[in-house]
Amino acid sequence: MRRLMCELEKGKVMRQAARWMSCPVFVLVFLVQASLVMAGDLALDNPRAMRFPTVEFNPPDAERLVLDNGMVVYLLEDHELPLVTINATLKTGSWLDPADKVGLAGMTGAAMRTGGSATMSPDEVDEELEQLAATISIGFGKESGSASLDVLKKDLRRGLQIFADLLRRPAFEQSRVELAKLQALEGIRRRQDSPGSIVGREFAKLLYGPTHPSARETSVRSIESITREDLVAFHQQTVHPNGIILGVTGDFDKAGMLALLREAFGDWSKGVVPAVTIPAVAASEFKTGLVRFVNKDTSQTHLRVGHLTVKETHPDYVAVAIANDILGGSSFRSRLFNDVRTKRGLAYSVGSGLRASVYDEGVWLMRAETKLSSTQEVVNRFVANMERMRNEPVTDAELEEAKEAYVNSFVFSFTSASSIVARLMDLEYDGLPKDWLQQIRDKVVKLTKDDIQRAAKTHFNPDRLRILAVGSGDALSKVLASFGEVKEITLAPES
Amino acid sequence: MIGITRVRTIGVVILSGMLAAAAPGYAESPSLADRVIEHKLANGMTVLMVERHQAPIVSINMTFGVGGVNEQVGLTGLAHLYEHMAFKGTRTVGTRDYEREQAVLDELTTVGNELDRRERDEAARAQMEGKSHVASQEVQQLQRRFKELQDKAGEFVVGNEMALLYQRHGGVGLNASTGKDITRYVISLPANRLPLWAALESDRMAHPVLREFYKERGVVMEERRLRTDDSPNGLLYETFTSTAFQAHQYGVPTIGWGSDIMALTPAATEAFFKTYYGPNNATVAIVGDIQPKEVIALIEQTFGKIPAAPPIPALVTEEPPQRGERRVEIEFDAEPALAIGYHKPTIGHPDDFVFDVIDEVLTEGVTSRLYSTLVRDKRLAASVLSDTNYPGVRAPNLFVIAATPLAPHTTAEVESAIYEELERLKTEPISAKEFERVLNGLDADLVRSLRSNSGLASQLAFYQTVAGTWRYVLNARARIAAVTPADVQRVAAQYLTKPNRTVGVLVKKAPDKKLAAVGEVAR
Repeated sequence: MRRLMCELEKGKVMRQAARWMSCPVFVLVFLVQASLVMAGDLALDNPRAMRFPTVEFNPPDAERLVLDNGMVVYLLEDHELPLVTINATLKTGSWLDPADKVGLAGMTGAAMRTGGSATMSPDEVDEELEQLAATISIGFGKESGSASLDVLKKDLRRGLQIFADLLRRPAFEQSRVELAKLQALEGIRRRQDSPGSIVGREFAKLLYGPTHPSARETSVRSIESITREDLVAFHQQTVHPNGIILGVTGDFDKAGMLALLREAFGDWSKGVVPAVTIPAVAASEFKTGLVRFVNKDTSQTHLRVGHLTVKETHPDYVAVAIANDILGGSSFRSRLFNDVRTKRGLAYSVGSGLRASVYDEGVWLMRAETKLSSTQEVVNRFVANMERMRNEPVTDAELEEAKEAYVNSFVFSFTSASSIVARLMDLEYDGLPKDWLQQIRDKVVKLTKDDIQRAAKTHFNPDRLRILAVGSGDALSKVLASFGEVKEITLAPES
Repeated sequence: MIGITRVRTIGVVILSGMLAAAAPGYAESPSLADRVIEHKLANGMTVLMVERHQAPIVSINMTFGVGGVNEQVGLTGLAHLYEHMAFKGTRTVGTRDYEREQAVLDELTTVGNELDRRERDEAARAQMEGKSHVASQEVQQLQRRFKELQDKAGEFVVGNEMALLYQRHGGVGLNASTGKDITRYVISLPANRLPLWAALESDRMAHPVLREFYKERGVVMEERRLRTDDSPNGLLYETFTSTAFQAHQYGVPTIGWGSDIMALTPAATEAFFKTYYGPNNATVAIVGDIQPKEVIALIEQTFGKIPAAPPIPALVTEEPPQRGERRVEIEFDAEPALAIGYHKPTIGHPDDFVFDVIDEVLTEGVTSRLYSTLVRDKRLAASVLSDTNYPGVRAPNLFVIAATPLAPHTTAEVESAIYEELERLKTEPISAKEFERVLNGLDADLVRSLRSNSGLASQLAFYQTVAGTWRYVLNARARIAAVTPADVQRVAAQYLTKPNRTVGVLVKKAPDKKLAAVGEVAR
């Protein structure tokens, strides 16, 4: 879910492990000097002709340890600033929510942070953290949970005690549970306020079906049914040291840190940790095209057009990702941006996205917001650009640009100790090899125009396109009629 | 999932951000004062550099002292439109043949101006006569000619070439933003690509070409719909701000009023560029794996060739004192929200540092007064936040408190609970513990702000531009630390008063039938 797609979507491109890279600092100095020499007067007048060597960088490697209770720890020191950050990935998540208590995982994470611990009241936790200018956050997502501590070096020991206490012995004080529930209900009440929020959630339901863990939503009923006992049980059942990967970065020394970690977590016993399993989407749910709209009183139509796609581990994934990059994933450089925004002036925000994980079918989609009168034209451009990806090879220049952008921005994968460690935690959590990103990079560099076209033909499928438009309903049904039978999705009132 | 989004720094989310979090200095980081290297070019351009060699990357923030405040009546949105046009290239980048292209662009502009004028006239006449607008033969002919010329001009364009060059060379975070006071252009690059940046940016400072102008106007209209017209918060803040400022340009939306945007011309845009985009109005902050001497040589070699522009016109309009509460409602198909603003002096004024303390005491963190009272204990509000320098810092501005009620409570209940807390500020001194928390938080924020090349570059260029020196941040912490509980009481009593406030309320309204579409001609 995170790696390839996120960065491609932002037009940034991918990260990578870098065992093959050579020596750091003095090489860099040399390269910078060399580039200045190259960029003499002539070259500075002609940016098109500028060439630079690829920046080589050997980022520091984190150390990996396993505590006796199974907790995995990555350590990477960085002494530039007097700060320490501890990030935890927890094997839990909303995929475990019972069907009648959707929102349970999310609320458990929130109330672990706000509900106090066995040794401190909620107010004491808040007061002390804010007095120390330390931050603890805990949140549970679909496929994992995360917790983090960000603390000044001088307060590390105390910060870590509170952090461990909240992870291991949250108190879920009743008043804070009530507050979390009220906040969740207010969130439900407000989630139809903006068309952007509606289109994202309804499109997920259109692709996965409304009860699938990747699309289902909280409801007033599901939130009201959640009790403090549910939160206690969910924590007890899913949060165990052997389900936690810890990433520690910043201004510490290894021996001292290990002693502190053992003090904080060493006597925490193992539990049974479930493997993340997300049910497959029933074939009938997603094999066919659909056209739907939601009526909202807006001046723009919010459009999503796409279908389910491969997992991150599929052999075609890298080719699909680069095809998507060229189609609409790389902002300024992409075809959709150039066609719909630059040449036609029809949208401010336009592009395509590929979101894949190792657990679950991914989503591929094209998106834009445009005024009602240009809605039909934009959908036509989506379809035409998709067809062109299928029917013609991309140009040599487009493929070369995509590869160069990927290779040259690669160094941004290693901007800090925390980003290096976060990547290692991610890969281990998802059961992927440490050199996964290097493997992806090798595949990207080898891609041919045929590979891209084959991927587009196989994985951008016009017969399966699902079209969702949120906007001025009366007119939308006519505007969309040329794309298939149009039906309205009526939103239940939330308040 | 989206392509690049160019954000404007107007306050939809007005939580402190740069100002509250960063204002007070790097006093706890004594090395920063020594680490910033300043260089001023003969043409007036300012360069600020910090070496950070952790990774072979560099972040660059180019900030111009121009924004919405520099616009005239009828030309609102111009600063932001120019920011979009700045991505269209130069005489060498973005074109296949500039000489021939320019001839077509000139003719296109002539026809475009004529077409704009006639269409507006005809639409106005039709409206007066109560008829629906049908283009005359003459206008239709102009439209056809316009389309031909636009297609012809398009043949010369290499679309988004500047961005493409950055991306090919591994650039990330390419973006720009327009605010009330400043306009910024940012990018991060592998460190050895700095010459590419210097070549591209000096070229666009010297020779920008306003190609694809009319299409970009349409893009900006879509941006306005997205951020303002269809956004409950966007509309609330636009209306709230224009109510609070009746004379000063801070009251005008940075994105521009829709009718103004559609009337902007290439000539006005060109004139705006010539007035405000000289090197003497620019500061560039460069943070990362750099050798400052080489950077200076590179910048002298490129930007150094650009002549200084005349000094920019002074801003003369002052907001008259507010004499009485102003209340405004905005109806929208959305749950209610509330914004309360008080006029106050801007950065540098002694009372502004007191507002930094008030801001933190009221809303920073879950132990802050407004959060703990309204959200945690009374459960009247779902959220509350404040901003001490809204919507800009180059002129007297507003202290804003914003909140959303927690149903079934109303904005009226939340509003009166906020006033109770503001009264408390006037009558009870803040505690030593609260004050200590404020200073600890500011000090830690300052250390954390050094974590990111782009964040540091942003702050340095920001204060250099709006306060005249990046060192503002070094002095501010001492000024804040010197604030006394009596200062807080005095400032609260002086500024947080009913006649000095503006209140904007977002009121839920059931959706009704679609209003007539905006009278825009798509080109």
